[in-house]
Amino acid sequence: MKKRLSSLFAIGLALGAALDLSAAKKEVNLFGWSEYVPQDVLDKFEEETGIKVNYETYASNEEMLSKLLGGAAEFDLVQPSEYVVEALVKAGKLEEIDFANVPNIGNISPAYMHRPHDPEQKYSVPYMVGAISIVVNTERVKEPVTGFRDVFSGKYAGRIVSLNDNRELLTWALQTLGRDFNAITPENIAAARPLLEKWLPQVKAFDSDSPKTKLLNGDVDIGIVWPGEAAILYREDKKFACLLPVEGSHVTIDSLVIPKGAPHKAEAEAFISFILRPEISVLISRAFPYTNPNREACKLLTPEELANPASFPKGVETLPTFKAIGKAAAQVDKLITDLKSGS
Amino acid sequence: MAAPRASTDNSAGAKREPRGIGWLLLTPLLGWLGLFVVLPTAILFVYSFCQRDELGQVVFSFTWSNYARIFDPIYLGIFGRSLWYAGLTTALCLAIGYPVAYFIGRSPPSRRSTLLLLVMIPFWISFLLRTYAWISLLKGEGLISSLLQAMRLLTGPLDILYTPTAVIIGLVYTYLPFMILPIFTSAEKLDNSMIEAALDLGATPVRAFTQVILPLTKPGIFAGVLLVFVPSIGMFAVTDLMGGARVPMIGNVIQNQFGQARDWPFGAALGITFLALFAITFWFLHDRGEVRR
Amino acid sequence: MSASRESASGGTEVRKPADLPSPTVQTHPDTQLEWEFRHSQPPAPPVGAPVLGETMVQLRGVTKRFGSVTAVDAVDLTIRKGEFLTLLGPSGCGKTTLLRLLAGFETPTSGEILIEGRDVSNIPPYRRDVNQVFQSYAIFPHLTVEDNIAFGLKMRHVPAAERRERVEEALALVSLAGLGRRRPHELSGGQRQRVALARALVCRPKVLLLDEPLSALDAKLRHAMQLELKHLQRQLGITFVFVTHDQEEALIMSDRIAVIHRGRIDQLGTATEIYHAPASAFTADFIGEANLLDAAVVANNGVTAQLQLGEGAEVSVRASAVRPGATRALVSVRPEKIYITRTKPAKENTFKGVIEEEIFRGAMDELRIRIAGGLQLMAMAANESAHEHAWHKGDTVFCAIHTDDIVVVEQK
Repeated sequence: MKKRLSSLFAIGLALGAALDLSAAKKEVNLFGWSEYVPQDVLDKFEEETGIKVNYETYASNEEMLSKLLGGAAEFDLVQPSEYVVEALVKAGKLEEIDFANVPNIGNISPAYMHRPHDPEQKYSVPYMVGAISIVVNTERVKEPVTGFRDVFSGKYAGRIVSLNDNRELLTWALQTLGRDFNAITPENIAAARPLLEKWLPQVKAFDSDSPKTKLLNGDVDIGIVWPGEAAILYREDKKFACLLPVEGSHVTIDSLVIPKGAPHKAEAEAFISFILRPEISVLISRAFPYTNPNREACKLLTPEELANPASFPKGVETLPTFKAIGKAAAQVDKLITDLKSGS
Repeated sequence: MAAPRASTDNSAGAKREPRGIGWLLLTPLLGWLGLFVVLPTAILFVYSFCQRDELGQVVFSFTWSNYARIFDPIYLGIFGRSLWYAGLTTALCLAIGYPVAYFIGRSPPSRRSTLLLLVMIPFWISFLLRTYAWISLLKGEGLISSLLQAMRLLTGPLDILYTPTAVIIGLVYTYLPFMILPIFTSAEKLDNSMIEAALDLGATPVRAFTQVILPLTKPGIFAGVLLVFVPSIGMFAVTDLMGGARVPMIGNVIQNQFGQARDWPFGAALGITFLALFAITFWFLHDRGEVRR
Repeated sequence: MSASRESASGGTEVRKPADLPSPTVQTHPDTQLEWEFRHSQPPAPPVGAPVLGETMVQLRGVTKRFGSVTAVDAVDLTIRKGEFLTLLGPSGCGKTTLLRLLAGFETPTSGEILIEGRDVSNIPPYRRDVNQVFQSYAIFPHLTVEDNIAFGLKMRHVPAAERRERVEEALALVSLAGLGRRRPHELSGGQRQRVALARALVCRPKVLLLDEPLSALDAKLRHAMQLELKHLQRQLGITFVFVTHDQEEALIMSDRIAVIHRGRIDQLGTATEIYHAPASAFTADFIGEANLLDAAVVANNGVTAQLQLGEGAEVSVRASAVRPGATRALVSVRPEKIYITRTKPAKENTFKGVIEEEIFRGAMDELRIRIAGGLQLMAMAANESAHEHAWHKGDTVFCAIHTDDIVVVEQK
């Protein structure tokens, strides 16, 4: 059939096909947290740039590392937390980002830039940040709760839900003791042990997946939960008071990075630049009310949204961050496993 | 003379090792076993002697340390508790499952399939859904608690969710069918005249049970025990969901190594030890003739 | 007639049937040879009734219903001590239910069962002095032969030493000495059968129940076991209640046979009684082979009655066999009792017929003979096919039936 077409038409077709082919090549493989990138943002990006986003998700940094380092799939963009960024940078697993392609990096608040995990800000761009929040059901708990000491005073034994995260648990104890939570030393572990020994039995359930459910159901009255979950609880019902513990806190900076050898680096940078736009970033904030590091986007939020104490806790921007602890993770795991077994 | 010779040839042929076409027919199975059982186990075995780097990647440098770490009292204690929980679960499954399986196996064939279906139906629903259903049943304001309080059997709310009791309930619930089905198969095969013979020979119903029914359903019991004990010892989801992740079992420890702790070599060592324990137990029981029939 | 037969061969010694003399009853001296020959099947065993008169088991109006099905219907039966009684009937007739009632696996819906005068209707099987040999043998596969046999003794708390002794005895009794350590799956079918027997006998039951115990054996072994069982029963003097659907087996082994039909005892009597004088068309047909012929009563002079078979041949029977006023009768004639000759014999009840079919059956020739009036008779004749004067299809022959061999089974 083609043979009977005029040559001109044939050339036109060939050109079209070539264009089509280049369009097909335009794609970006995003490996991100589950429930972290709204679908409408992905749709808008595809619509505008013609770059197809292949969005794959993970539920933990560790799961992400397994897949990323396993090398089974080639990803162009990943969303690790800051201490994982640090480890990846050290291991030389990341591409430097060409910031000429990301001119709007200036939208990010300087408070979240040049942090220890990426001091020169060469490899990562903050996506969303947040600090773990204590949530109190004020209908059930009348006394003021200000921090870990109050939560674990013993008064609320069996009424607490906690994240099931060994490093967080140790961090809270070290903060309560005024110690450096990034120093996983035998002394620190020994010091934290008696405190955790007292705390852990008071927890009714450890849950990292959906601790908010237990609070909403009234199974528990106090929770130590992810900031996003806390913000949703507060949004649902103002009886849930959210606060940063007085003993101290740390901020998690989830960043977009480009793994070494990413096949679509330019498209990945285009995506980063796209989500840095205030009008796009604000969509993410609305879907997932974490702390938005994009100060231009924050200007578009309503006062009510900005007043959510879990999304925008006071002083969050100055909080320290996690450092990579590497093999010391085994010590943490052992400590918590031991304490849970003993309880 | 030709006929008997032919028949001896046949019987010899029946016992012959598979060869030629036999092996060909076995290829898919062997391939499947090799690819999905032998190979992963071999990888696990190799990993168990490796180390991890800062990023949690497996580094191929030989060490015994993973195995040495298993002998840390912490992990031994968890092993012990896992054995205890799994043992209790198995015992409860046997106590609850045996009468059910026996009853189904001895009921008229027309009714058997219906009864079996009733055992199976809950398992058409996703495990997570069923577990969450149990959570809402068991919680303080849940159905069971309210019912017991309404019946004045309890003064306060039932407080067993996120306790070991809840874990055991969850485990028993999850694995009960694995106890019922093999025992059912044994009970179904049990010739009624065996029981009648026992009674006829002067055995009271109790003795007929202990002397004849129990020994003859032993293959089913053994299979059921194995099918319940092995997976329940390594279970982690029930411990997390119904136990509130408060008391870890060995399954949780292993899961942690492949997740949060990113210590695959240690996880592999735990897995291999686990496997070896079962292999030894099975071999021991088999050697004593418990598994043969 | 049967009474004289019973006394004729009394005595406990059992010989191989071939060694036994032919029945000595000679009601028809003129046809003695033929009768002798035709009676060459195993003789009726002696009935010990007069000697073993004591009652062992008594069933009084025993009925068993399963839902709407009546399996056993108001059965009265007395089983004597030391007797070999066979419950004979087709499958589904209720004989097995009857046995299970005796064993205690079923309880009667109504009526009562007495063993040595004690009502056991509601006594469970494990408290009855009754043991059973199961059709499937029900040997416990997880126990050795020894342990199988010792099982009943163990349940009855017999001391270990005595147990061992009795097990050895039992093994010897069933010719399995030395096989005690074997596992059931290492035994042949016949050996398992013996284990089942030994396991029941070792308990020294008052009554041994046997539920078609020989049905799984091949014909040769089966015959040998029939005689062995009979021997054993005599030797031990234990009351046997034997269930079978095989009439030949019943005839060979039993002192008395209860023919069971639709949950009732159709006829109870010795083998010869049942064979020669069936009380019903069912029994006549079920036991051996029989020509069941519809006849009209055409005359009755008080000494003999004249019956017309179909539309043709007339035969005479004793008047006592026919109820006064009866107009029609169903008669049974055993095929081997039809005397066939080429020339008209000087006998009563003689009529002509044509051989329509000749079936070679080994020892006997089965002949299908069409007689006047259109009836077809089945007759058995000594196998003479190798002789010149063999019977052939199309031959015209004369049939003669002795008056006493025409049994009226039904009349109206």
